[in-house]
Amino acid sequence: MLILASPLLVSAQETLTGAQILEQVDHNLQPGNLEMYRKIINIEPDGKKKEFVLWFLKKDMDKIVTLFISPASEEGRATLRLGDNMWLYIPNVGKPIRITSMQSVVGGVFNNADIMRLDYHVEYDVADLAEDQGQHLLDLKAKTGVVAYDRLKMWVLKQELVPTRIECYAATGMLIKTLHFKEIKDIGDGVVRPAVMETDSPLYQGYKSIMVSANLKKRDLPDEVFTLNYMSRVKDLR
Amino acid sequence: MTQDLSGGFSNLCPTRSRRVSVLIICLMLWGLPPFPAGASEYDFAIPEAEPSAWSFGGRITARYTWHRLDDQTAGYGRLYAGTDPGTNAHDGQAVAELSAAWRRSSFQARVLTRHAYTRTFEQDTWDNDIYEAYLSWSPAPNMTLDAGKKPVLWGTGYAWNPAGFLNRPKDPDDPSLNLEGRTLAGIDVIKSFTHGSLNNFGITALVLPVADDWFNTDFGQHGDVNTALKLYLLWHDTDIDFIFFNGPDHPLSLGLDFAKNLAENLAVHGELAFQKDALTPDVTSGSNFSQTTENQISGLLGLRYLNAHDTTFIAEYYHNGAGDDDSRIFLPSPDRQRNPGKDYLYAKISQKEPLEILYLTTWVSAVVNLNDHSLNLQPGLTWTPVTNLEINGRIGVPIGDAQTEFGEKPDRFRPEIWVRYYF
Repeated sequence: MLILASPLLVSAQETLTGAQILEQVDHNLQPGNLEMYRKIINIEPDGKKKEFVLWFLKKDMDKIVTLFISPASEEGRATLRLGDNMWLYIPNVGKPIRITSMQSVVGGVFNNADIMRLDYHVEYDVADLAEDQGQHLLDLKAKTGVVAYDRLKMWVLKQELVPTRIECYAATGMLIKTLHFKEIKDIGDGVVRPAVMETDSPLYQGYKSIMVSANLKKRDLPDEVFTLNYMSRVKDLR
Repeated sequence: MTQDLSGGFSNLCPTRSRRVSVLIICLMLWGLPPFPAGASEYDFAIPEAEPSAWSFGGRITARYTWHRLDDQTAGYGRLYAGTDPGTNAHDGQAVAELSAAWRRSSFQARVLTRHAYTRTFEQDTWDNDIYEAYLSWSPAPNMTLDAGKKPVLWGTGYAWNPAGFLNRPKDPDDPSLNLEGRTLAGIDVIKSFTHGSLNNFGITALVLPVADDWFNTDFGQHGDVNTALKLYLLWHDTDIDFIFFNGPDHPLSLGLDFAKNLAENLAVHGELAFQKDALTPDVTSGSNFSQTTENQISGLLGLRYLNAHDTTFIAEYYHNGAGDDDSRIFLPSPDRQRNPGKDYLYAKISQKEPLEILYLTTWVSAVVNLNDHSLNLQPGLTWTPVTNLEINGRIGVPIGDAQTEFGEKPDRFRPEIWVRYYF
């Protein structure tokens, strides 16, 4: 039913290791160098919504830039991730400041690590592979201490090799949030993947944040775009 | 979903009776999209994905400040000499900041103007300023040339930037405050490396001419041309800047700054600055001062920590090479930093979304003069209840004995509120 536009697509009949499944999940979610738009919707318990639109650029496995397009109060803000380093640029203020993965630029349940997430297999090792509810269940352990979540439990569809749910845990074992992946569809350039990621958190009772991905295009950009000096000029590339 | 709709549609089209009217209904239904509007609970349309060459925007700010005054202080005597405001004074300000930008290919132009009406105890004033007006050209992704008026803010500190020789004074508790630019021409070159411990390398070179009554007047005499250079490295996951600034009538200034993430919730930063033969205020008597020249070394060390409850802690120690620890502190600061003393501590604790109130941040900050142990305590909040509307409030409470920096401030306390609307 679902055809993933991936040259690395591995037959579901093969027996895959946990690392292979995780690598394929990454490829299906963020295939190569690309740009796309993301809409973040924060929903409060009374149903009130606040939307942010950002432009998302990714290169290789460790370079990400986001540029806020709307609302006007956020327009021009840019974030850069280079490996474990993250910065925030605020227009007219000048030099970008360092931020950490656990902070939130937009408020709500998403933090910087959720919005500027590197490929999972770059940040996590597969500690265990099991089966649950007809899906792969991966137990992931952070490779370093600078990753936002110490452990992840990831449920992966066996056929499509995309996640349906990810639980994020702190080093203390506390559940920080749960990500729900929905609406598998072509989000641009033939890339078929979940277009919606919803998240909720026991730390934010009643609140929900949604991230919609759309308008994806494969795009190769110079490495220099993913630098501190370039953050004020990222908007010129749109 | 499409198959279901088609099936239903077929059943609605009988072949015999009322053929014409049904045919019309069929045709109308045929014209509907296969997915009816609202079929998905999510809206995938992103109109912002179609950028235009022109963009316009701005924001308006209304600000009110209440000064609860202390007429026994040196600050009161200086500020309200010859007047009698009593125990209270009120300031009001309305500001409109308007921006326009144009982009095409590798060219960009931007203008930002600021228009402020200020009403104080003494007078009403209008200020109309051009904060930015510049042209940029990027012939290659790793190179940009700029000419015009553009803000410069170098250094990694939040409250102070001793190595930011070109900086305008900033308010660390209002980080989105627009700052007036410097008139300059410059080039910015970047190089990335995929292997090794050096990831990025950047050079920013600027020339800043001085023209009397026009621009850069605080950087020397009419006709002077100042030069500034910043070398940036991302080396071993650490931001490092080497800064040079010099001019015919400006002291040779050398700076170094750094910043690094130590953990997923902990970052450290610092600055070091040297100025050769810099002007230093020299108090001779009372409220008069003259200036001498001396070599100055200033520095800053700070950290930022985020705990599991979304509480951010920022702490900075600042040593002001141009500062003094005694009587001069009552006078206006002659340099670009806000505080004229010698050693300071800045501490800020901010709580994101307390009591589960979304988009609210509460904070308390303190600037402590470590030499005379006076301080300015400042609780405040920022709240964006609806999109593009931001409400800020803070209360400045100077605390200190007589003959101390903050003890001699004119206000006993100073509540302030400002509302911003972005468009």
